[in-house]
Amino acid sequence: MTTATSSASRPASRGLGIDLLELLASMRFAVSLLVFICLASIVGTVLVQNQPSNNYVNQFGQFWFEVFETFSLYHVYNAWWFLLIMGFLVVSTSLCIIRTAPKMVRDMRSFREHVRESSLRSFHHRAEFASPAAPTQVAGSLADLLKRQGYAVRARTEGPATLLAAKRGSGNRLGYIFAHTAIVIICIGGLLDSELPIRLQIWLAGKKPLFENMSIADVPASGRLGLGNPSFRSSVLVPEGGKARNGIVMVDDGALVQPLPFTLELKKFIVEYYSTGMPRLFASEVEVTDNETGEHFPATIKVNEPLRYKGVTVYQSSFDDGGSTLELTGYALRGGQPYTFPVSGKVGGTAQLVADGAPASDALKDLTVEFSGFRPINVENFANGRVGAAEPKALREHVAAVSGSAARVGQNEDFRNVGPSVQYKLRDASGQAHEFHNYMLPVDVDGVKVFLAGVRTNPDEDFRYVRMPADADNSLKEFLGLRAILQDPQARAQAARRFAHANRLAAGSAADGELSAQLQASAERALDTFADGGLQSIARFLETNVSSGEQQRAADVVVKLLGGAMAELRAVERERAGLPALPTGGPEAAEAVAWTQAAVGAMSDLFLYPAPVVLSLKDFHHVQASVFQLSRTPGKNAVYLGCVLLILGVFSMFYIRERRVWLWVKPGQDGQGTQTLMAMTSQRRTLDFNQEFERLKADIAALPPQQKG
Amino acid sequence: MELTSSARDGAGRAPRRGMDGPRGLDWTDIAFAALLAAGAAFAFQRVGGIMNYYDKAILAGAAVVLAWLAWLWRPLRALMIAVAISGGLAVTLYQGDLARADQAFFLKYLLSSQSAILWMCALFVIATACYWIGLIARSGTAAWVGTALTWSAVFAGLTGLLVRWHESYLLSPDIGYIPVSNLYEVFILFSLITALFYLYYERKYDTRSLGGFVLLVIASAVAFLIWYTFDRGAQQIQPLVPALQSWWMKLHVPANFIGYGTFSLAAMVAFAYLVKAHGKTSSWVKLAPLFVLGVLLAVEPLIFRQTGMPAYWMTYAGVAALIVGGILMGRRQLAERLPALEVLDDIMYKAIAVGFAFFTVATVLGALWAADAWGAYWQWDPKETWALIVWLNYAAWLHMRLIKGLRGNGAAYWALVGLLVTGFAFLGVNMFLSGLHSYGEL
Repeated sequence: MTTATSSASRPASRGLGIDLLELLASMRFAVSLLVFICLASIVGTVLVQNQPSNNYVNQFGQFWFEVFETFSLYHVYNAWWFLLIMGFLVVSTSLCIIRTAPKMVRDMRSFREHVRESSLRSFHHRAEFASPAAPTQVAGSLADLLKRQGYAVRARTEGPATLLAAKRGSGNRLGYIFAHTAIVIICIGGLLDSELPIRLQIWLAGKKPLFENMSIADVPASGRLGLGNPSFRSSVLVPEGGKARNGIVMVDDGALVQPLPFTLELKKFIVEYYSTGMPRLFASEVEVTDNETGEHFPATIKVNEPLRYKGVTVYQSSFDDGGSTLELTGYALRGGQPYTFPVSGKVGGTAQLVADGAPASDALKDLTVEFSGFRPINVENFANGRVGAAEPKALREHVAAVSGSAARVGQNEDFRNVGPSVQYKLRDASGQAHEFHNYMLPVDVDGVKVFLAGVRTNPDEDFRYVRMPADADNSLKEFLGLRAILQDPQARAQAARRFAHANRLAAGSAADGELSAQLQASAERALDTFADGGLQSIARFLETNVSSGEQQRAADVVVKLLGGAMAELRAVERERAGLPALPTGGPEAAEAVAWTQAAVGAMSDLFLYPAPVVLSLKDFHHVQASVFQLSRTPGKNAVYLGCVLLILGVFSMFYIRERRVWLWVKPGQDGQGTQTLMAMTSQRRTLDFNQEFERLKADIAALPPQQKG
Repeated sequence: MELTSSARDGAGRAPRRGMDGPRGLDWTDIAFAALLAAGAAFAFQRVGGIMNYYDKAILAGAAVVLAWLAWLWRPLRALMIAVAISGGLAVTLYQGDLARADQAFFLKYLLSSQSAILWMCALFVIATACYWIGLIARSGTAAWVGTALTWSAVFAGLTGLLVRWHESYLLSPDIGYIPVSNLYEVFILFSLITALFYLYYERKYDTRSLGGFVLLVIASAVAFLIWYTFDRGAQQIQPLVPALQSWWMKLHVPANFIGYGTFSLAAMVAFAYLVKAHGKTSSWVKLAPLFVLGVLLAVEPLIFRQTGMPAYWMTYAGVAALIVGGILMGRRQLAERLPALEVLDDIMYKAIAVGFAFFTVATVLGALWAADAWGAYWQWDPKETWALIVWLNYAAWLHMRLIKGLRGNGAAYWALVGLLVTGFAFLGVNMFLSGLHSYGEL
């Protein structure tokens, strides 16, 4: 073709610059870049990005952490080498466009009407026709036919012959230009919106990220970005009633302050839930005040409905506690006397445990409470472990269970709101901490109302819960009283005595005094052992004193014994506390048995509980906070324009097929009639093209031999 | 005029029914468009109140697009009418009460969403078997039945999705959403789109011999759906998290699955291509890569499982390996019955081109949505990144083909590997990597 660049004809001694240019503009180079971007991206998805450095050190160890850090593998997409590759891609694609586009435009507009008859004969797709009509007539009707089919036609006469050159679908070439320009535009727009502008300010304008906590007023100028900073992505937490004038831009592990052109005041944060406890709606009602004009207006910001003002877009990003105030009761878990004391605090704040006169108050004094969370609603699924859930079913029932509507309530779903919960850490003098998660209200578990008190040692674990039974007043008082009285040897002896006595009464006159005394001794030993370390210590006792074959049977006996003795101990406690005795028959008695069982389990678990106190939520005032993301993205419109071009380009490349037809119309050999040579070509010789060729051939053959008029 | 001589390259075939290029608009097209307009108007009148401006625009746009599709490929008209009737019947039978799903006979056994979807699963599996019987026994009737069953399965699946849409609103008006939000729903969508594209090419190229190959990928999607339903109870309608409550979902997800569906179709045609190309190969060494790739593709969803391997999946993997092995054993016979390599190559190219175009649209729509929902049109979330990798992979494939003239085994192997990459982007990312797109975890 006339437009082909003839690199072979260039002098051999061309400069290095041209070689480099050739390389940059070559498709091979572009494809290598793309492959490299793919590989880097894969690394970026496999290695979780932008975590605190500690996480990586824990995961890989110090050595590999540093190796990976050298290559910025924790921030792949903002690494200098990644940006450099992107830069090369932009350069390479631009060169490719600059080199090819003018050629393409020229080619697109050209009809290539200077082709010779002999070269038409070498086309793969060609046909010859004969007609008795005169050449001009034939050429006219052929031109009409092509125009009817959407071709642009140009005619050229050469002596007695006429050449009709026709083309269709030139937009295909525009598709190429659009798609490749789009890539360049998108990359440039994307770079504008990346971390690059902020990093440039750090490298060139002397900005220094802050690594320690400080109040915003104390931040030096080097830690503040300009008000007119064109590109940033920051976040801010605003409690209800609070105001924000700055956003925080995170850079690696540090932070920069980004002043905003307006003040954002959070009036109210709204969160609504589905019955499953899944959030349905997050929305923030805010008041926006322009810092320059003082103009203000209310707005609602929702997920999917951001606020746009003064070039800054404000998104609802998440929510948090904004410092809810909490009133709690502390229950001491050590010593022989029940003891309670009030604690109050704020979520996000700390408190000291002030419990003068409490047993083991020294242990309490050293502890600091850090209130780490509060949730007003907790929806839990109670269906797991329900009786009958795992019964085998016939195939028919299996199918029936999943047919019908997709909206039926599943068998594994029983969602219940169990009310508020508080989360706190207790840190001792040496800095060691455990985290606790306690529910405010008792929850029905296997027919007994229990308070759930969760504990975990590190944040990656799930909470393990102690289930402490609630008393008639829905408090922990009776259970913790029982825990305290268990520490009293006299009370234990009294309970053992009462237990033996009750058994003798039940056995009637046949009762044997010696047996009764033995029973009392056993019960007392069981209580003593239990008081020493819970069920674990009873297990240890059995292991050392009972032969292994007998252990299971002995354990059953001891557990029964312990249950009975604990019930008596509870009676003793109730007497001391001035509470009425529990009924010995009817459903209440069964409830009492279940209560005691739960109490035995919980008390045993308390021996493993890593704190001398449990804090129970009494009252709260919920204050929420909304987390906003604020950003200014100057490249966004460029990227969107690029996207539109890309789509236009891709569709026109695939769905506008370029076709060219030449018809060489000349008088027949003996001067009579007309001979026509047809040749057709397309950039892509697909099956469709073959068919189109056949169709056009048939259409030409079907033209009437004589054109009227 | 009289044709005196003609030449063209390639052993192409004569023009065929359905391939006769540009077509006119006849009165049936106009009548159908009017019917669609009436349907849209009816929808506006019934539920216009709960739609916002964008939803309305999408509804109007959908009517236009459907009219255009129906003109492009007329058999769709019958499908649309049938689905409208079955969907309408289901809505009427429900009478606004979900409990009717267990009382009304037609709802219970046919039209309620889960029943319809189970029918779809069964029909797809039987259709796969019929196509293979047709191919092995050279039975035109069996293959014809395969086509009929595939159409029925598409009908059942579409009905199921539409009714599911209605059911979500019956559950509670504030829960209702278009059923393309989680892994269960999109797997159905994937099966339907792949099947429809296959049916289009089947008619266009007038060959049923590819049905068995393409429906294998649908059958494995069905195997997943069955497990997901029976083992995980995933069929239950779950309310949407706030980020998903957007009209963007109606555009982004279907566009994406046109991409996934056609890429899968292209890969299965590539598999057929390689089987045919190896028809006379007797060296197992040369077949080994094909066998390994085939098995790998079939078991890809299992590789990422982090918790054990239940018997169900063991069986599935075994059956998949047997099928791939069986296909390779019978390569000589299959090669004779498959269409010309040129045709397979053409389908492969067309499918990837459609997929690439729609995948581009989907990614752009996703970026626009992300800008509203997450505050950034692109933030290198694993799913986004893998979408980019898939996109770049097929972009490279198309470049090589269009500019360097890549053809033959190389292009086919690449298309197969492309499905591995796509499969990872579709499934692996959800199971393996955490991110913002974690809507379908296993």
